[in-house]
Amino acid sequence: MKNLLLLFAIVLLTGSVAQAQSGETLIKNATVLTVTRGTLANTDVLLRNGKIAAIGKNLNASANARVIDATGKFVMPGIIDAHSHSMLDTINEGTLAVTSMVRTEDVLNPTDVDLYRALAGGVTSLNLLHGSANPIGGLNTVVKIKYGRPASEFLFPGAMPGIKFALGENVKRSSTPNTPGVPRRYPNTRMGVEETIRDAFTRARDYKRAWDEYRAASAKDKNLIPPRRDLQLEPLVEILEGRRYVHAHCYIASEILMLINLADEFGFKIKTFQHVLEGYKVAKEIAAHGAGASIFADSWGYKIEAYDAIPYNAAIMTRAGVVVSMNSDSDERARRLNIEAAKAMHWGDLTEEQALKLVTLNPAIQLGIQDRVGSLEVGKDADLAIWNGHPFSVYSRVDTTFVDGTVYFDRQQDLARRAELAKERATLEQADPNKPPAQGQSPQTPRRRPRTHEDGEIIEEERRP
Amino acid sequence: MGIWFYMPKVRPRLFVALCTLSIVAFCSCSAYAQRSAIDTYAITNARIVTVSGPVVERGTVVVRNGLIAAAGANVSAPTDARVIDGTGLTIYPGLIDSYTNLALPEAAPAPSPGGGPAAFLVTAPARPTGGPNSTQPVGLQPEVMVEDVIRTSGTELESSRNIGITAALTVPRSGIWMGQSALINLSGETPQQMIVRSPVAMHVGFTPLRGTYPGSLMGVFATLRQMMLDAQRYRDSMLIYERNPRGIRRPETDRSLAALVPVIDGRMPVVMLANTEREINRALDLGAEFKLKLIVAGGREADQVADRLAKQNVPVLLSLNLPRRTTAALPEADPESMRVLRERVEAQQTAGKLAKAGVRFAFQSGSLTNMSDLMVNVSRVIENGLSPADAVRAFTLSAAEILGVANQLGSIEAGKIANLTVTRGDIFDRNSRVTHVFIDGRPVDLRPAAPERPAGGRATATGMWTLNINLGQGERGATLTLQQEGERVTGSIAGVLGAGDISNASISAGGELRFTVPLNIEGQTKEATFTGTLTGDEMRGSVTVVGMTPGSFTATRSRPN
Repeated sequence: MKNLLLLFAIVLLTGSVAQAQSGETLIKNATVLTVTRGTLANTDVLLRNGKIAAIGKNLNASANARVIDATGKFVMPGIIDAHSHSMLDTINEGTLAVTSMVRTEDVLNPTDVDLYRALAGGVTSLNLLHGSANPIGGLNTVVKIKYGRPASEFLFPGAMPGIKFALGENVKRSSTPNTPGVPRRYPNTRMGVEETIRDAFTRARDYKRAWDEYRAASAKDKNLIPPRRDLQLEPLVEILEGRRYVHAHCYIASEILMLINLADEFGFKIKTFQHVLEGYKVAKEIAAHGAGASIFADSWGYKIEAYDAIPYNAAIMTRAGVVVSMNSDSDERARRLNIEAAKAMHWGDLTEEQALKLVTLNPAIQLGIQDRVGSLEVGKDADLAIWNGHPFSVYSRVDTTFVDGTVYFDRQQDLARRAELAKERATLEQADPNKPPAQGQSPQTPRRRPRTHEDGEIIEEERRP
Repeated sequence: MGIWFYMPKVRPRLFVALCTLSIVAFCSCSAYAQRSAIDTYAITNARIVTVSGPVVERGTVVVRNGLIAAAGANVSAPTDARVIDGTGLTIYPGLIDSYTNLALPEAAPAPSPGGGPAAFLVTAPARPTGGPNSTQPVGLQPEVMVEDVIRTSGTELESSRNIGITAALTVPRSGIWMGQSALINLSGETPQQMIVRSPVAMHVGFTPLRGTYPGSLMGVFATLRQMMLDAQRYRDSMLIYERNPRGIRRPETDRSLAALVPVIDGRMPVVMLANTEREINRALDLGAEFKLKLIVAGGREADQVADRLAKQNVPVLLSLNLPRRTTAALPEADPESMRVLRERVEAQQTAGKLAKAGVRFAFQSGSLTNMSDLMVNVSRVIENGLSPADAVRAFTLSAAEILGVANQLGSIEAGKIANLTVTRGDIFDRNSRVTHVFIDGRPVDLRPAAPERPAGGRATATGMWTLNINLGQGERGATLTLQQEGERVTGSIAGVLGAGDISNASISAGGELRFTVPLNIEGQTKEATFTGTLTGDEMRGSVTVVGMTPGSFTATRSRPN
């Protein structure tokens, strides 16, 4: 019960933490994990106007700057989760095989408490992806976690637009039971998945041609009726023109090669393969295509296509020249991506810097935000966290998380606010609309969002009441 | 002329013409003749809350031929008027409920859940709300017009009138493009007489379709966008074609897209259902993207978006269906989340905050099942920061302004439609009573709520009933035990079709009864909704079970209490 109340207290901390000044903050005497410039001992980091203004010894700040003594503590760039479904009111538009017209940006929930929990794990940016119900899914949204602010302020300025693709079992509905009399949604095989994507890009190419022809002809003839604008095909044209990143959910080697070949055929690039559990088998081909890989450290065996995984995946692909990231695909795992990265030092002997990159610079590259975040460098966004120990230790935890130089999580503030919240709760419970009626229904267990793993596929047992 | 051409100004005139016709047609009818014998009323010595001007502490309102003929301190009753002594009474403009499903037929039964998505696809076009020859599935038909299905009867009309509501925006029940609403007076002999303005607005809900695209909120947004883009192209191609049809393949006509043209041109307002901060922001984003004339309905957290609403001049049809805790206190239950606790408390403060922020808003009942809660909720809103004057305005002139009928309704001014609500005591005082309601210049019969009437004069459901249910497979018996308190009914059912507690039960003063029970039919537990009339110790009416042909029931009281 006590734990539960504590949990509730955490749940309730809204954005008031976020109101801390974003003017100037000086973090003094920390061990700074820059990711790109090595580890700097006894070093200060100066944050000014949302940016990293200076990194060095004995820095000075203006008189009204907030000064944090970080002696014995570690400063790390904000973790970037390249595959998340937090903050989404809905994850899959599963009715059609191609849903490139739907946008995760339309369904953002800035009050999702998982965002606060992610901040408490040192995470500052998320790649919000559509689920994996269809070969071509919806458009993604890259956000900075500005918990407590309206959704529009979360959008990561300048992030590359992206889209979710998916291959294999989720797409061909392997675990969807047959309903008698109901036709199964096409495709039902990996062959059909390939054909669905090829058909969509063929239509996109025709669509682009129709518009090009119309634009040329309408210069002379004002009496022409324009082609129909098609929101499904427009993002695919952007992919063909290199203006939108493809994040493709996949598992097995053959389907990875299939998608590389298909992309080559149409002349576009796959930006990342997601999950890509058999990526180690085709690491060279992935590297040659120029694609990245975003993976789990050691989550596998949860379905047939996830059996052939090994924990050396990150190391093998990294050595083959693939830009690799570790993602959560889970509201819960998002809180401990630091440990996921650390596992890659154990399995495959990646260096500390290589392992750090798995959750910082590499996902930044995969999302086209590496000029803004992913490492601690002067001029980059002040998205970072102060840890009370090395982030690769299971005993370490986050003290403070900054996004654009503003504090969005602070452990001391969180603890200090709990008494206040308990008092507020007591008052609220006495308020008239919250009083239980004399004869009411029995309270139900609060509905929690079903746990998901891998791409918003709800774990079947949890969907049932 | 293009068939998509939108002529809102013409429609009211059309209805005047229709009404005139019906007067001619009905003039030999004795009922009508009786009613029309008196068409002039004067309420004297009353306090008059004009809303558009200052309150008149003691004055007279004259009603003639359906309109307000005069109102003020120095107005005297004409000699031919029926005079009502208004001493101690207050006259308000008739209240307007700015979002309802009043005067609509019962909701169509939902498709059989056992049938799956395919069954839905098969049955969908047969559902009654669908537009004929539509290019779109049910739920995406903006051409649906509520004026086509309005009916003059219905208990909901009566319970609304009883609390002083005289007019309402009535809106199609469901859908993404839900269709077009009408502003109706809550009394009339024909649907046409009831209509004050139609169409008033296009309505948008964000509930996904079942088993077909769009099946998610993301898909709903994509579909709304795509159809508005299609409507733009439809409008433009029709213009190009009309300018010079030769040499152009003619564009196909499309009633759904045609209905959206006035919307995307910003001539017809769009009402979007949105309650939370993020839902309202999404609606505002979509409105801005297509330059829509937006109205938000629901608006529970509108105060959190007040700056944006005020800046973009987007009004709110604010629901008075205030959230309350409905569950009992159990020591072993999990505590409710702070978000829920705050939400219930803060919902009472929204109206006051909107008024302070300068956001235009009107009140709506928000599908409250028990209309007597409506005024109680207004008094809660007033206790939480809204001035009583603003509360009256939100129920009258603001509603009329937002819904485009401010020239006809919303204040007590000469020339406006004579919709009046007369009370003893301040209208939002918990002890006040509605004494007279005028709609279109005619007094409406009011049935006061139970306590004002001697016991026995009112139908009561309390007792044990022998129930016979016929769902097309012969009669089945059951025992029904009912307990009535005011309009609320509780009880249980037991018999061959299973046993269980009744829910959603209510009874009107006139004896119209409604309740839902779980029934065991063909091995499955299904919700059965009983709707009927109670007279003396007998009840009869219809039973609807989701996915089955409606049946009937009769019941006799075997034991009172």
